[in-house]
Amino acid sequence: MKTLIAAALVAVGVSAHAQVPPPDLTGVWAPYRGGRGADPKVAPPAASPLVLKPEYAQPFDAKRKAEADAAAKGEPIASGAVACVPYGMPRMMSVALYPIEILPTRGQITVVTEAFSEVRRIYMNVPQLAIDDVPPGYYGRSVGRWDGDTLVVDTVGIKTTVPAYQNMPHSDRMRITERIRLVAADFLHDQITIDDPVVLEKPVTYTLAYRRLPGYEMVEFVCDNNREYIDDKGGTHLRVRDR
Amino acid sequence: MFDTTKQVTLVGTVTAFEWTNPHAYIELDVPGENNGAVKHWSIELGSPSILQQAGWKFRDLKYGDKVTAVVNPLKSGQAGALLMRVTLPDGRVLGNGPGAAGRQ
Repeated sequence: MKTLIAAALVAVGVSAHAQVPPPDLTGVWAPYRGGRGADPKVAPPAASPLVLKPEYAQPFDAKRKAEADAAAKGEPIASGAVACVPYGMPRMMSVALYPIEILPTRGQITVVTEAFSEVRRIYMNVPQLAIDDVPPGYYGRSVGRWDGDTLVVDTVGIKTTVPAYQNMPHSDRMRITERIRLVAADFLHDQITIDDPVVLEKPVTYTLAYRRLPGYEMVEFVCDNNREYIDDKGGTHLRVRDR
Repeated sequence: MFDTTKQVTLVGTVTAFEWTNPHAYIELDVPGENNGAVKHWSIELGSPSILQQAGWKFRDLKYGDKVTAVVNPLKSGQAGALLMRVTLPDGRVLGNGPGAAGRQ
């Protein structure tokens, strides 16, 4: 009988795989860094090496050295976040200890971040546009589909001025592929692969881990009291009050 | 911007507690020694989200509260600082959260 049912399913094009409903990712998730003693099943695995093409690697390495030197002197070079500029994709997916909220609705999965209240929309089961048809922005255009228990998301159209993984430079050809899945009941992994044939020698893959925060109410983040500012040389200053 | 190698203890009166993004601020009047002139300090904290994770509530400080704050002062010498920890009027000691606000 089982054989007959399996044969019938194959006949109508339904695989046993597709019978399993996708996991429910709804809710708030906090970045989970793992660390010493963490269960390797839920801790994020190591990233692959970031290998830039020589013409990009040299200035990138020089910039990183300058950043490290400045940080060692206690005068870190300001990032856009000092000026309340949001992170955009893909860095918005993990900002310090700020949670993210995943909201699946019909035909769409929306991700809202607590830091800077960033929003990205993943349109489900629709074709991706050609890169040149997506207006460059902080979030680009994301489309998703379920591959068994894994949400696969394709994102293109990120502005070249939005720093990517480890602040690497990228071209307008950058493509971000995410494989998002539950690795345990309350632990989520987002395996992110960045491919950029202009800037990278080979794609780089890293994984962000999250743990579920049941009942957490997201805190609003409207940047209406930014007293820090960046000078012409990239230094950060604080506006102090007289009284 | 802040001199993290220096710690200054400020004992003063809160003139404002701003539970805002990207940072919260404590505005503090600090009397000089021997009834000297009051010096006003602006003290930067993490963001409300990060502060909540460290046990803060938005009503934990108000105008007129007497507090003792340990801070890293600005390198510029201006009366601004980054909070390390503060002792509230009820004796609780709160830190500045487990991470910097909105930064990686």
